[in-house]
Amino acid sequence: MTKYTMVVDLDRCQGCRACMEACKIENNTTEGVFWMYVFRLEEGEYPNTQQTYLPRPCQHCDNAPCVKVCPVGARYKREDGLVLTDFDRCIGCRYCELACPYGVNYFNWGKPEKQHYGEWDDPDLQAVTGGANPPWSNPDLARPHGDEQRMVAGGGHHKGVMEKCTFCVHLVERGELPACVVTCPVQALRFGNTDDPETPVSRFIREHGHFRLLDELGTEPRVVYVGGQPPSDEVHEIELVHAGVER
Amino acid sequence: MDTVTRRGFVGGAAATTGVVAGRDFLFGGSETLASVSETALGPVIEDVVPTTCWIGKQDCGMLARRVDGRVVKFDGDPANPRNVGTLCPKGQAQIVSIYDPNRLKTPLVRTNGKGERGEWRTATWSEALAMVAERVNEVRERDPKLVLWQKGRSKAKKFYDDAFVKAIDSSKLGHGAYCSDAGYRALEYTIGLHGVQHPDFEETRYLLGWGWNITNAGGNKFCWLTWPRQMVAARDRGLQITHIDPRLRSAGPFADTWLPIRPGTDLALALAMCNGLIENGVVDVDYLTTYTNAPYLVGDDGMFLRVDDLPQVWDSASDTAVPAGEASEPALEGTFEVEGTTYTTGFTVFKEHVAPSTPEWAADICGIPAAQIRSIVREFGENASIGSTKVIDGVEVPYRPVGIMAYHMAQQELGFQALRAMTMINMLVGAVGAAGGTFSDFTWKIDKNYEAFEQFTVEDPPYDFLLKNSKYFPINTGFPGMLAKVMLDPERYGVEEVPEVAILHMVNPLGSFPGQPEIIESYKKFEFVTVISPWLNETADYFADVVLPAATIEKYEGPISATDQYIDATTLRLPPMEPLFESRGEIDIYLDLTEAMGVLFGEEGYLAEVNAALGLEEPFALPLDEKPTVREIFDRWSRAQGLDEGIEYFENNGVLVEGRIDPTKRFGYAADPPFGGVVHRLYGESLLDAQRQMQAKGADEIYWRDYTALPTWRPPTMEGSPSEYDLYLISYHQVENKQSRTGFIPLLAELTPQQRLDINPATARAKGLNDGDEVWVESHNAVTGESRRVKTNLAFTEGIRPDTVGMPHHFGLWSHPTSRDRGPSPNEIYPTGEGYMANTADQSFHVKVKVERT
Repeated sequence: MTKYTMVVDLDRCQGCRACMEACKIENNTTEGVFWMYVFRLEEGEYPNTQQTYLPRPCQHCDNAPCVKVCPVGARYKREDGLVLTDFDRCIGCRYCELACPYGVNYFNWGKPEKQHYGEWDDPDLQAVTGGANPPWSNPDLARPHGDEQRMVAGGGHHKGVMEKCTFCVHLVERGELPACVVTCPVQALRFGNTDDPETPVSRFIREHGHFRLLDELGTEPRVVYVGGQPPSDEVHEIELVHAGVER
Repeated sequence: MDTVTRRGFVGGAAATTGVVAGRDFLFGGSETLASVSETALGPVIEDVVPTTCWIGKQDCGMLARRVDGRVVKFDGDPANPRNVGTLCPKGQAQIVSIYDPNRLKTPLVRTNGKGERGEWRTATWSEALAMVAERVNEVRERDPKLVLWQKGRSKAKKFYDDAFVKAIDSSKLGHGAYCSDAGYRALEYTIGLHGVQHPDFEETRYLLGWGWNITNAGGNKFCWLTWPRQMVAARDRGLQITHIDPRLRSAGPFADTWLPIRPGTDLALALAMCNGLIENGVVDVDYLTTYTNAPYLVGDDGMFLRVDDLPQVWDSASDTAVPAGEASEPALEGTFEVEGTTYTTGFTVFKEHVAPSTPEWAADICGIPAAQIRSIVREFGENASIGSTKVIDGVEVPYRPVGIMAYHMAQQELGFQALRAMTMINMLVGAVGAAGGTFSDFTWKIDKNYEAFEQFTVEDPPYDFLLKNSKYFPINTGFPGMLAKVMLDPERYGVEEVPEVAILHMVNPLGSFPGQPEIIESYKKFEFVTVISPWLNETADYFADVVLPAATIEKYEGPISATDQYIDATTLRLPPMEPLFESRGEIDIYLDLTEAMGVLFGEEGYLAEVNAALGLEEPFALPLDEKPTVREIFDRWSRAQGLDEGIEYFENNGVLVEGRIDPTKRFGYAADPPFGGVVHRLYGESLLDAQRQMQAKGADEIYWRDYTALPTWRPPTMEGSPSEYDLYLISYHQVENKQSRTGFIPLLAELTPQQRLDINPATARAKGLNDGDEVWVESHNAVTGESRRVKTNLAFTEGIRPDTVGMPHHFGLWSHPTSRDRGPSPNEIYPTGEGYMANTADQSFHVKVKVERT
């Protein structure tokens, strides 16, 4: 059995947001959509000021509130720990968005093809891209995944459906790491199977103090934070990015 | 090219499984479907090819994942020591630029007057090149130096700065005066290395992160990624960081101690640290006596005692003055009488010079508590471990695990001397070139400026337009802001001829350089301007006569160092696709341009200069009568490196890793001869001599006052602004941006949508201002009395000094749809020139401002 867990090492994170960008390119998400979001936080008064960074992907909860409220079974939990959205089945009711305490669900309000960061219909460009929109569109995302062969990978598929972080299901299924983990310049993100206590990720969690976000809600997140502490009530966000989601 | 594996994924060409047809309702006419349809006809060709990042400074190794030749993702190349499989946000986002429909599609020729938004007609390459060749050659025939080649980021120096400039014999100008060149000059002068302080992260235990943008950008040689990687690894081993900067955000959670220093006062703190170390007896006598000019005898006139041109030291064994290097017991300290005249050692002069720089004195100037200064002096001294050694890679070297990272500290009026003084902190404890100590280059290769700075020759006018050897700048980085001032008033600076034509190579002075009004006016003086750029950038828009469309990453370029300071490696930039539209790589452009100019072939042509720059000799040298492709040039170069496969080695492997750099190259003490054979200049005799020559030539005090033998504190010019300008403006890079071209990438614009003014909430509230309020930021030039202002919005942060406000760069652009309406650049309100530059002709990024509601 494999159960995937992501570990975020707050002692290493530099808040650079490379993970946010790697996610966007890999998953072809549209403008304002950040399946991975890195908070830049500040608290305390000058000169006793503390600044911290907090990467926040979907927590892929074992007891996921979003799964419970989905009326059509589009949002579901897999045995390997991933919480996914079948965009063929999603009816866009947005219950999952309301149920989730982490603010990681993004609803496709507009036509995705108009929100891929540019006008890509230039004929000279299409001669190069074959009409790809966005030009970096990833064919893996149009393929079904998992034993059930469901359409769960990538973002920006069509108007009226919900989307969120998939732990890069299309990469994980072929033995690769999620795009955010790969690009992180300081190894602040780790990913692996924690069903086996001897994997590097299992050992790393065991050897370090850790916490989970909003653990008290009983959501049983599969994202584990090492180093630092849960954000206090006193923090405020600096250098925020305008994401198209309620936070 | 061969398919290579990516993150352990074997068989990249086999990604044809699981394709489902008939999902048209989902994707409409989008590309995802197009790709799937093709698959129904046959396998999608998926491969991964190596290339090198183009967007930033440090050229990280990358793998481009392609689907039927279309690049869909860049990832870091795990084999490249510099970035080890990782990328920063800019590296990830740059994929947009290879498809940007706003890029130049063809060469353009201006059809309207200059100094306003351009109107253009398209031209063929041959027409455009012929126009450029004719205009440039016309000037070259009269005086080639009146052709100015100006670069921003040069990514194949050997082909551009060296070979092309030599082939056409033009003047050249870089951008370093806006970066850290005052620091480069300080370190070249003081220890002979080309670079600014960085630590040996493998061994450093205590780091002064002096203005260092740990969590954003900026560091010696690397823009960001490599230093943070090494820094977090060092913290795992217990590295302690003292962060010295008016803003906390530049180190964020990695500041164990934060010293929020007043802008422009770093020299005072460095002098106080030197004084404190001496007072505490933390002095590496062996290093100072053996490897520096500290024991040289200095006369009352500030000059060394010389006999037959040889500087003398006091030999305590014989109680006589003897030539440096010949004493059996050279005295580091003391005053001695030689033939009736009194001489004092350089070290004693230094000790007396810094003696008044007490913690209380510096605390008052720097705006930080004296107790904090005392404590970092103590911590630095304790960690310095003077006298200890460590075996590194089999070689025993002095162990001084105290490092300084000080790169952009050079960007201030006292930048040159501040960086000298910071180097002296390292010198006092013997940490220069020691294990865990401070370095400024990766090997102990001595820069030619070390020798050149031994004796300055200040000449009478007329000067060339870069003011070389002038009474203004005996050390002269080459400063576009100063060139602008010279072009606007050549007579004032004793200049008779100004450049007539310019070739602007990947540079956007209007968007990137302070003194923006002066820069704009100066470019109007050029009779003909050629811009080589992927975009019709701000400078091209206003001033280009001809624009030549350059490729971004999709070209051959190099050779590129891939070292991380510990492992030696080399790579190339390889094109992951054909250049977009009609763009061309710059090397292609220079081959074509020199051909059009008639200087491609022959013994003094571009090809000959490329051979010289790349070190290509028979049998690998390029024939001088045959135009090669760029790939052929790199193939020959690769073979000259001993790679029998030629360029295919890089096409297959991405990077050539040579292995760990030998300790005898890395550590100054272990080098043969030690420190490359140069004497470290604690005492700057030639600087004082330069000052006297400047005075004799009638230079004003504002030019000569910082040419002092020892770093000497004075209040920066900005302190002369009226008291209503009550705040210091500083500026900085954010990690999302580097060079104005990152302003053209919509993904990065999304992360940094708007300019802002960082301000301490207490400061704002005292002015009746709130978070988010729109304000005027008005600067004042204390020399000219001129004021300039821009409008932006306040961003509250408790991570900045109450007397300081901050603005990031990379805003204020207009030429690209992505860059518009995102607020102003601080460059619009920074003065340039006298009072706002270092004595080495380098821009200061400090000015006094007032902030008022709009």
